[in-house]
Amino acid sequence: MADMADTILKFDNVTFRYDSDDEKLPPAVENLSLEIKQGEFVAVLGHNGSGKSTLAKLSNGLVTPESGDVYVLGMNTKDENNDLKIKQTVGVVFQNPDNQIVATIVEEDVAFGPENLGIEPAEIRRRVDESLKIVGMYKYRLHEPHKLSGGQKQRVAIAGIIAMQPQCIVFDEPTAMLDPEGRRDVMNAMKRLNKELGITVLFITHYMEEACEAERIVVMDDAHLVLDGTPNEIFSDVNYIRSLGLDVPQTSELAQMLKCDRINISGETLSVDGLVNSLAKILNRG
Amino acid sequence: MLKDITIGQYFPLNSVIHRLDPRVKLLYTFVFIIMIVVANNFVSLAFCVACALVVTFVSKVPLKTVIKGLKPIIFIIVITSLLQILYVKTGVTLISFWKIRITSGGILEAVFLTFRISFLIVMSTMLTYTTSPTSMTNGLDRTFAPLSKIGIDFNIITMIMTIALRFIPTLIDEVDKIISAQKSRGANFETGSIFKRAKMLIPLFVPLLFNATRRAYELAYAMTCRCYNGGKGKTTMNALKYKKGDWLVTALTFAFVAGVIVLNIKFGEYNAKFAFNSAV
Repeated sequence: MADMADTILKFDNVTFRYDSDDEKLPPAVENLSLEIKQGEFVAVLGHNGSGKSTLAKLSNGLVTPESGDVYVLGMNTKDENNDLKIKQTVGVVFQNPDNQIVATIVEEDVAFGPENLGIEPAEIRRRVDESLKIVGMYKYRLHEPHKLSGGQKQRVAIAGIIAMQPQCIVFDEPTAMLDPEGRRDVMNAMKRLNKELGITVLFITHYMEEACEAERIVVMDDAHLVLDGTPNEIFSDVNYIRSLGLDVPQTSELAQMLKCDRINISGETLSVDGLVNSLAKILNRG
Repeated sequence: MLKDITIGQYFPLNSVIHRLDPRVKLLYTFVFIIMIVVANNFVSLAFCVACALVVTFVSKVPLKTVIKGLKPIIFIIVITSLLQILYVKTGVTLISFWKIRITSGGILEAVFLTFRISFLIVMSTMLTYTTSPTSMTNGLDRTFAPLSKIGIDFNIITMIMTIALRFIPTLIDEVDKIISAQKSRGANFETGSIFKRAKMLIPLFVPLLFNATRRAYELAYAMTCRCYNGGKGKTTMNALKYKKGDWLVTALTFAFVAGVIVLNIKFGEYNAKFAFNSAV
């Protein structure tokens, strides 16, 4: 069990149906196995209805698998005795910030999680201030949530999860309802959590550009996990990605077109800089 | 259009009253409501009114705003006053025609009731004007915490109140959006008979209800993620603490009760005839 220690989240052949009595209903997730290591930044890609949001709900026991098991730090999510410990370890941030904020004042909302855990008031205060500073919302601590912008609300929701000091945060399309500016703020907050606090991030999205910023991408299609690799590996097969109903980053698309014209481009082609370098090599050779 | 609703409005100012512990404000408001009903003569009533005016003055809430709060109950005041004037037949007869006989007792009773109801409302609105919703739920939570010993979990009730307060602006925005969406499809909410307009509310409320339900499910997931389990073993970040001023106001509240009782005994239940004769 030595390797269990650095595996924070493990899906073991998981199948889940929203109505388990209805045999005709196709499963939302089928025979899915996936392991997330501590400290990773993993993006989950998939078009609507591919089962990626269900993955988020399975990850901390909001729903439990019909067959197979989900383990959080080795604790099975089916075991109700572990419930509180699991929810404290794996936090989930959802798509709509409006539906996650409970209190009428920002700092009281952030305090909601720690309060439920029965933590001392002085310690709650410390955690709330710290969490709000991490997401850059400290100066808004006494504001009313409904007067904030979408991106700001989403950052408050993230602070609410951070205040419980989880080891892993699952983001279920946190940027889907935001404007570009809010999207960038939330992306930056996620990256900081991963880099500076060492929090494992599982980032569910359908935006290609955002997924490319992860170290590892998992692609879901029709309830199944179909691809798992680095962004470069994933987007090297442009045609396959397209067949899954997903967009392809412009850089990958350009590289693909060059390949079609028998220009043998190799190396990193996903980031703009990488593509420029690879192109420069070819041009120098030619 | 729905943003004009002002029920339970909070008037953010920085006054002594605003800074009081919400439990003290709940206490004196509750006590005042009882005492103004207990007050049985004009002197006691005047004492109550004076105290209410002092609270209003200290709170710095403009008198205009306080009076505006009375608007919705003018109708009730007029009806009750009319009933008093028509049915109370004590004291001296002032006007008498057809079957109606208006007496001094009736008029005094009407005046008495008008003050009683008005100031009952004034003090209740003062509570919401000077206490923020969060502070209020905090206060209620702490005041009724002992009820958990007899199996009533007030924590859940304050949680419901907090969520309701939190979602009012969100749902108002949603109503505005639905109205715009339905209007853009040719719905007409403004003209037509009252029945026609009432019928137009169906395409407004069905999506609203549907969305609110969906929101509730998502909120439940989000709350579960944050370890909510019905408030068992919950702590509070901003724990309420009684300060010097809070004790002082609590003492003043008891003094007020004593004052009303003393005045009640000293002047006795007012006699309409006596009151009228001495007034003239």
